Parts: sequence; structure tokens; C-alpha cells
Amino acid sequence: MDVSMIINGEARSVSVPAETTLLALLRDHLQLTGAKLGCDAGDCGACTVLVDGKPVNACLMLAGQAQGREVITIEGLASAGGLHPLQKAFEESAALQCGFCGPGLILAAKALLDRNADPTDGEIRDALSGNLCRCTGFTKIVHAVREAARAQRDADAVRTA
Amino acid sequence: MKPFDFILARDSAEAIAALARAGAGARLVAGGTDLLVELKSAEHAPAVVIDISRASDMRRIAMTEEGLVIGAAVTHEEILDSPLIQKEVPAVAAASRSIGAVQTRSLGTLGGNLANCVPSLDGGPVLVALEARITIAGPAGRRQMALEQFFVGPRRTALRPDELLLDILIPRTSLGKPADFQKFGLRKGQALALVNVAASFHSGGTPAVFVEPRIALGAVAPTVIRAAQAEAYLEGRAISPEAMREAGRIAAAEARPITDFRASAEYRRDLIAVLTRRALENVQARTRRR
Amino acid sequence: MARETKTSDAKITVQPPSRAELPAYRPAALPALPAFPIEARVPQAGEQTQAVGQRVRRTDARAHVLGQTRYIDDLAFPGMLHAKIKRAGIAAARIVRIDTREAESMPGVRAVLTGREIPVNSFGPTLHDQPLLASDRVVHAGDGVAAVAAITEQIAAEAITRIRVDYEPLPAVFDPLEAMRDDAPRVHPPASNIFMRKMIHKGDAESALSRADRVLEGRFSTQMVEHAALEPHAAIAAWDANGRLTVHSTLGRISLGRADIARTLRLPLNRVRVVATIVGGNFGGKNEISLEPVLALLARKAGRPVKGVFTREEEFTASTTRHPFIMEYRTGVTAQGRILARKVRLIMDGGAYCSWGETTLWKACILACGPYVIDNLDVEAIAVYTNKTMAGAMRGFGAPQVCFAYESHMDDIAAALAIDPLEIRLINAFEEGSKSSTGQVLHSVAVKDSLLKAAARFGWKEGRP
Repeated sequence: MDVSMIINGEARSVSVPAETTLLALLRDHLQLTGAKLGCDAGDCGACTVLVDGKPVNACLMLAGQAQGREVITIEGLASAGGLHPLQKAFEESAALQCGFCGPGLILAAKALLDRNADPTDGEIRDALSGNLCRCTGFTKIVHAVREAARAQRDADAVRTA
Repeated sequence: MKPFDFILARDSAEAIAALARAGAGARLVAGGTDLLVELKSAEHAPAVVIDISRASDMRRIAMTEEGLVIGAAVTHEEILDSPLIQKEVPAVAAASRSIGAVQTRSLGTLGGNLANCVPSLDGGPVLVALEARITIAGPAGRRQMALEQFFVGPRRTALRPDELLLDILIPRTSLGKPADFQKFGLRKGQALALVNVAASFHSGGTPAVFVEPRIALGAVAPTVIRAAQAEAYLEGRAISPEAMREAGRIAAAEARPITDFRASAEYRRDLIAVLTRRALENVQARTRRR
Repeated sequence: MARETKTSDAKITVQPPSRAELPAYRPAALPALPAFPIEARVPQAGEQTQAVGQRVRRTDARAHVLGQTRYIDDLAFPGMLHAKIKRAGIAAARIVRIDTREAESMPGVRAVLTGREIPVNSFGPTLHDQPLLASDRVVHAGDGVAAVAAITEQIAAEAITRIRVDYEPLPAVFDPLEAMRDDAPRVHPPASNIFMRKMIHKGDAESALSRADRVLEGRFSTQMVEHAALEPHAAIAAWDANGRLTVHSTLGRISLGRADIARTLRLPLNRVRVVATIVGGNFGGKNEISLEPVLALLARKAGRPVKGVFTREEEFTASTTRHPFIMEYRTGVTAQGRILARKVRLIMDGGAYCSWGETTLWKACILACGPYVIDNLDVEAIAVYTNKTMAGAMRGFGAPQVCFAYESHMDDIAAALAIDPLEIRLINAFEEGSKSSTGQVLHSVAVKDSLLKAAARFGWKEGRP
């Protein structure tokens, strides 16, 4: 089955068996290994990617369902301009330890900040409740998201000033 | 997963035609949050999976003469974002909000939740309490029924193999009727309901009495059930904290919970009593605010 | 890199967008990515560095946030095959027959392996009681009984369902107390289910107890816990033309793993190379080999690299867990709260194999008295097999379990004597020069200091909120 979609801003086309999940398509067929296989059942969130701006578990989407959609993976966040504010905040806050949950978490956080520029801690925790982390206890992760939100608000203020 | 074919249906007619062609071997997928988990451990694969997530006539949230229509392929996230639902039936949004996590809600649909029909489904109680009706579409045409009748048993609905759930209607008479949804799970997020409860009533007269009280219980019977005796107890009775507590006790007695590794039947009954009372109290608070 | 994918023959009704519909394809100008990896600060010879108090950036952070960290499952090699292991699904049984013919003849299957083909089919950090693939007996439902390497994971998963195993079910035992009885089914016959015993005798606990003003008893138990590291166990085995094996693995202890791989495969140590990369969480669960030698043998049979990744279900059924403990405490105290003697009996549920059970048993035994001066101490610690998922190393192994017991017990004693729980700990806690349960003289002892500082910080005297 031929599937085409826009991944990290680029049109990509692959031929995959119909039962291929979006996760397997990204990891095995496009070598975009940032999204991780943690449980394959939509429980852990390590496979979170953005599809048309919404965070989804890529392990629960069939490749054909992503046909024509815009997909953002962790590999698509940094640009020539530098790290995304979330990436910068996660790095500076030492928010990750083993890092396995990182890509999914950062994308779920991006989806939050794209909708809500000034989330409360409760809103942050809620938005990340679909992403499990076994190493950190989430404290620095929440801190990093708060920092990234602040940095983005400051940058927006400068831009609109 | 074992191999299968994939068909993207642009509307319900295409999906029904594909179902007819495939015979017994087809499954419908919308959000996939239940189906894919099932298929990954299934011994046998369907011959074809038909994607209805983009079916154009199953995706609307609209006000009609009959009431508020929610297409079966509307996602929980879309329900949360809908100003119409927030205005007319906010408890429906509250139920969607309690499902899974943000990733599940981006993909999962109300129709999928109802059609999957697990005893603890979160989309059921509020709609039952609001006396929702559903439309089923098949090769012979469409048929409507009360949502309560749609639920036949665990993972069994009134759908025939060549039919699909088209949309859900909340009748005009239920719009604006205050309702509340209570769910108790072992976690605050990504939790199955140990029990869930929805309650709804109008307040009328002086002193105020319960008018058309409706109480729906989930996860304490093979399907969502109405607590008919609790409803009968409340109908026409003066609204009071004691009455709500008593209604909770009656509802708990009507429930038929099981003991499993998540909770005992006694605990579930306790929860029903408490959650019913809380739901009624919240409805009352909403009534007073009007 | 050629990828063999299975293409469906079915009619396709997904229409790919026409060229006109897609945004114009612009060959991407390679973004100037931020510097990666970041420079590490290297102290020069003779330079006096001050590390303590400096703000340090984690060196792995940049790669993590870019999604560039390569875990084992992110690696792929040309021609690589995918392995799956067939799990027994029955807690105790004799294996009568394994029939792999159907799996072997499936298109896409390149190698099949059973336990009989493994040169040395036993391993373990202390007792070599665990097979790589069970060949005669199954002792827990997660035992692997056969393995397949195929060109896709999908084919491998299908192939293991086509392997037929005939079992003769045997009685199983799941409760450690039951397993200790003489008439209990033997998990590893003819050996006893009690596979290890550790004891500490210090002073004369029996007579000290008889002198105590009060004797308090408590029974505590903890449950089996799964590490649930977000990254499942994974490994890739590949041979080079000179017969040297390279294994990429999520293994934590790679020197130990290398030795185990060499021993089980009867290879000289210098023919085995183990490469570990960043691990996605270990917590003790990746401390010993699991599927590495199996992958190596599949790779040798198939002549291609073979990757195997545990499913989340296998993480629960076929990887080590934290030991459940049953802990019985008997403590004699003066009326003022001073501990005179303590007797402890620990029953450690080891599951199906010993794994890191000896270390766990030792730690639990030594730490069972807590950070308290107890001159008269008897500890008996017993390790028991049951037909459950094997228990092994998990953060603290032995320490957290007894900590729960001795601290709960201490609170119970305080309540019984109507003494403040903080006070009773200050009366009994280690000090500079105190002797541990095994006679070790302790220095840099900060127990009382920490307790008092914490109490001041938390407002202990003012009362709990």
C-alpha cells in the first residue's frame, strides 16, 4: 500500500503493508527512530508524534490513516534557527535521565504550548498524563515545560513589541 | 499484527458498501485506540479494515430540529473543543475528558467508545441519562433506537455485521437539562472506571422537587443500566441532601457489580452510593446557578 | 540498505495525492543543527578543578532532546533479521516434544532454535539454574522454549505460533510458605525449593529477649514489582568473518554479560564483544543476559545479524522482578524504648530462578535490623523457589523490603510504648563507631544528625498537619 504524508515539512512516500502502524512506518521505513516503541498499546506515550498538530500514539494509528496528514516528529523540532524552546528548556533543566520518554514528552508538551501559552502546573501535568517516565518523577519535566512556556511568551512579546 | 487490507471510506455509504463486499471478515476503524490493541494480540486478522475516521457524514456536531447530533466519528478532543456541546450538554464533554489521555482523545471517537461497548465505557452513562438515541446505518437503510437498547452485552451491540453506528442524538427535551458525570478509577488519568455514574434532573415547583430524574450506572452490570428504582424514589420528591443520599443507597442496591482484580463488588457498591449522591448534588448546584 | 517488506496484493483504495496536491518538494537545505555532541570540559594535568558546586550540563541531554540518542532498537544492520521467542505460557510442565518443522518451512523464516542446540544451556549470577531456552522442563510461564529469526518481525511472530510444543503439565506452587513445605511440588527437582539460607547470630538474642520489659512482634510483606523501564530488553547479535561475535545489548553489566555469553556459547572470551549504548532505564532489570546467546546462535545459523526486542508483555512475564518478602520481626525493648534484642525471619520469594537472589538475600539479612544498635540479633533469611516470574536485582535489592518492615515495626513499638516515633529512633540509632549487624565499625554516621535536621525542617515538634 502506498502512503504519502508530510513529515517534518517534507513530502514523503512509502510503500508499506496495510497493517503497518504509523510508528513502524516512521521507525522502520523512514529511519526516524525518535518515536519509541515502549508498549505498543497506547499506554506509555513513548511513541507520541503530532498529526495535524494533535498528539497521538503512533502505535495506535494505521499507516493508511495518516495518509495526506502533516506529521511532526522530534526530529522536526530543531531548525536552522536552533533548538525549539522546549528542547532548550529540557536540556538546561536536566529534565531527562535515560531520555527514552523524551521525544514523546517534548511533543506532547509542544501540543500543549501551541494551544495554551501560559499553562498552570496542573494543566502541564494533565497534558503530559499520557507520557510515562520511569526515571525522573516528572518534577524537572514540569519545570522545563514551564520554563519553555515562559521563554516562548517572552519571545512572542519581543516579536509583537 | 497479522496482515489485512485497508480501505479508506470517504463517507458512510462507502463504508457500508465495503462492509457488504467484505462479508464477515471486516472491521471498522475510527480512532483505533481499542481496535489496534485488540488486533495486536488477535489470533486471526480481519480480511479488511475499513477506516471511517474521515467519513464526511459521520463527523458533524450540529443542532437539528430533533436535537443535538454528534457524528459517530467525532473524536473526544473535538467534543471537548465544541462550544455547542459545552453550552448544551457539558456533561458529555466531562465524560469525554475522563477518557484516557490527550493522545487517546485525539484519536478515539465517541462512536467507537459506544460501539466497543465495554461495561465500564465512559461515553455511555451521560448519554443514557439524557435519553440519547442512536442511528444505525446499513445496506437496508437507517434505523434508530434508544442508546440503552443499543447496548446488548459486554462488547455486544445491536449492530448487525453489515451495519455501522452513524450518529448520536441528544433529544431537544434533554438539551439544557443539568447533568453530571462521576467516574472513579485507580488513577487520575488513563484509568478504567471502577464505576461511573451519570445523573440528570430538572428542578420544579415550590418547594423544589426532582422532575424527570435519570440515573445511569456503568461498570456494575453487563451494560450501562438505569437505576430505575432510585429514579422512581426521587420523582416528585422534595430535593434534599437526605433524598440524594437515599437515592445513592437505592442505586447501589440496584447495581450488580462483580469482584475482580481491580475491586470487590462491595467496594463498587459503596462507590455507586457515593458517586450517585455526588452527581445529584452537582446537578442541584447547576440547577441553582440558572 | 535493502529492506525486505511484504507488499499486500490487495486492491488499494487509498489514493495517494497527485503531485499537484502536495506542496512542492524542495530538497531540504540541511539545517545547521546546534552543535552536537557538546564539548565536555576536560581538566588539564595539574589543574585544580572545582567540580563540587558547579552547574554541570548532562552530556547526554543534547542528543536526547534532538531525538538522536540511539538505543539498541534504533540500530539496524544490513540484512538484519528479527527474532521472537516462544513463551511457555504454563507455570510448570515437562516438555514432551517440540515440533518446529512448520515454522522452519515458513517463507521468510531463516533460523529456528531450541534449547537442545545451546552448548551450555544454563546461566545465572550465582546458581546456574536458568536455561536460555527451556529444553526439559518449564518452571514458569515466561520460560522461552524456542526462538525464530525471520526477515520481518511480523513473520517471526507468526512463526512462533506455528511451533508446536507438547507439555505434560506438572503441579506448580506459587506461595513461598507453601513451597517451603516438604510435600510441596519441587520447582527444580530434586533440589529443595529452599535454595539458600543466610544467618546472622550476634550476642544472645534469646536470653536478651527474656530480659526485655516488652516484646513486640510484627509481620510484614511486600509484593513482586516489575521495573517497567520504558525501554524493553533488546539486543542484536552479529558474527564477523573471523568467527567473532559482537552483541549490542541493553545489558548493564557488560563484562559479566560477556563472560556469560562466552561461557554459554563455549567461545573464548576474546571472541566476544559486547557493546552497550545509552539504556532506556535499567533499575537492575538489565543486569544479566536474557536473549543474547539465543540471538547469537540464530545469527550463526542464519548467517545474518539478528535483533530481538522484548514485548511489554515479556517484560512482565519473562524478565526479572523485585523479590517479594515475608518478614517476621520480634523485638525486645526496655520500657524506655531501648532495643535489647531482635529476632528476624525473612522469607524471600525468588520466583523460578536464583538470578541475583543471593545478593538480595544477603543485603536483606544484613540490613534487617535497620540503622539501629542491636547487640543481640538473630536473623534467618531463606530464599524459596516458586513457579512464578523470577525475581532478581531491582534498586536496593533487599534493602527497601526490610526498610519497610523495620521502620513500620519501629512505629508500632513506639505506639505500644507511648514514645514519640522520632525519640525512639534517636535512642537506638547508629552513632560514630557503632557496630553494624555484622560487626562492621561504622564511621561518618549521620543518622541522628539527619533525623534532627529533618525534624526541625518539617516542624516535627509543632505536630504533623
